[in-house]
Amino acid sequence: MKKIVLSIAAISLSLAVLAQAKKPTIMVVPSDVYCISNGYSQQFVASGVEQTLPDYKKMMQSDRNMRLAITKLAAIMADRGFPLKDLEQELKNLEQEAAEAAALQGKEGGEIVESPIDKLKRTAKADIILDLDFNIQKRGPQNYVTFNLRGLDAYTAKQVAGAAGTGQPSTSAAPELLLEEAVISYIDEFNGRLQTFFDDMFKNGREIKLQLKRFNSASFDFEDEFDYEGDVKGFGDIVDEWLDKNCVQGRFNRVDGSGNMLKYEQVRIPMFKESSSGRQVAIDARVFANDLRSVLRKPPFSVDCKVYQRGLGEAWIVVGEK
Amino acid sequence: MRQIFLVLLSLLVVAGADAQSRKERKVLFGSSYNYEIAVLGVGQDGTKVFKVWGYAKKVDDAIVQAKKNAVAACIFRGIPGGNGAAPTPAICRDANAEETHADYFSGFFETGGKYLKYVNLTTDAIPSGQDRLKVKGGYKVGIAIQVLYDNLRRDLEADGIARRLDAGF
Repeated sequence: MKKIVLSIAAISLSLAVLAQAKKPTIMVVPSDVYCISNGYSQQFVASGVEQTLPDYKKMMQSDRNMRLAITKLAAIMADRGFPLKDLEQELKNLEQEAAEAAALQGKEGGEIVESPIDKLKRTAKADIILDLDFNIQKRGPQNYVTFNLRGLDAYTAKQVAGAAGTGQPSTSAAPELLLEEAVISYIDEFNGRLQTFFDDMFKNGREIKLQLKRFNSASFDFEDEFDYEGDVKGFGDIVDEWLDKNCVQGRFNRVDGSGNMLKYEQVRIPMFKESSSGRQVAIDARVFANDLRSVLRKPPFSVDCKVYQRGLGEAWIVVGEK
Repeated sequence: MRQIFLVLLSLLVVAGADAQSRKERKVLFGSSYNYEIAVLGVGQDGTKVFKVWGYAKKVDDAIVQAKKNAVAACIFRGIPGGNGAAPTPAICRDANAEETHADYFSGFFETGGKYLKYVNLTTDAIPSGQDRLKVKGGYKVGIAIQVLYDNLRRDLEADGIARRLDAGF
């Protein structure tokens, strides 16, 4: 009997130790200012307003300096356990995927169904974007590099790490060498800040955004009141209470709300939760939102909801339909 | 008699003051936080190049101490920026890492110990001029050094002393 208890304890412990959080994906994306100032841009007219957007494909096909910087960054980050998603390859994959999805047919002529949302979602994505900008400048006979690397959380839009500065001017070193030197010089400082961000994530939970919206078919709006746990409360207050119980240290911030939407930011969700089988499993915004959906499916709400995922760090719960 | 007593007392006070300063110097020489560093530039990929100073009674011992200081600074305190190089954070982010892993580091920093594995290149000849200063009780010696920072970080991560960037994922 003692052996069985010990074995179960050992297995549970090993499962808890082996549990790993969902790893964020990282991609280097040249900054808008770099692309536009170097002529890698395209013009669009949207709703009567002319917009200038970066043309990443053109840039990756013509800018050797940027490719060099990305290669250097990717090698260093891979060594630190974070192989980077490659923007150029990702763009090629997306084109290929679109072509294959359009051509693919079943044996009986069936075609792949793709909603407008599915098409919109087919973009190059990463959880953390390394926004890279540099400029090789001249001062008399000397070259020098100004360098700016920002790590941006794609969902909270917060800068989670950064390193910027100006390299030592040189008359003899080629601009490419100065650029490589800048990457080597700043990456340890940058990774130090990234580590602080990850440490904070493990201590205080992953920061996500959560939005509740409603389909027009929903039977109630978010200002309605419900008899919940022996008390009459507004729908928004009930959601607040649930978040208070389920967020790390009850940390969340309702930034906006109306009868049709509730918007939460700085929602700190735990990195792990215990599954029904007793295992520690990693969670992200979608899993967290699913837990709230389970509550909304039960009385007194008894409503179907759609959980719409926007990467690891943002989810929408749309009330009223699946 | 009274005069003799006063002279003896004043001699004792002077000797006491000298003993205090000697004690302070000893503490300073032996301090594990006494890293003086000036960055020389951006090193080759995975390395850090800087000038580091060491204190000891003899010049040779001060050079040994300087090498230890160079590696210790990379592990516990980080390297300041300068000469076009950005600051580098400490490999061990825990402020008490030295005490927490005291057994590991006492072996690591033994003279001729593992720390030398990460010291790639130094001005190992006896320093002269401003790099070899005679100070009270010994020498202050400065040497230019190249530390294999990435190798050091990797080994400390593998030994469980430093936390990997992707730890937990």
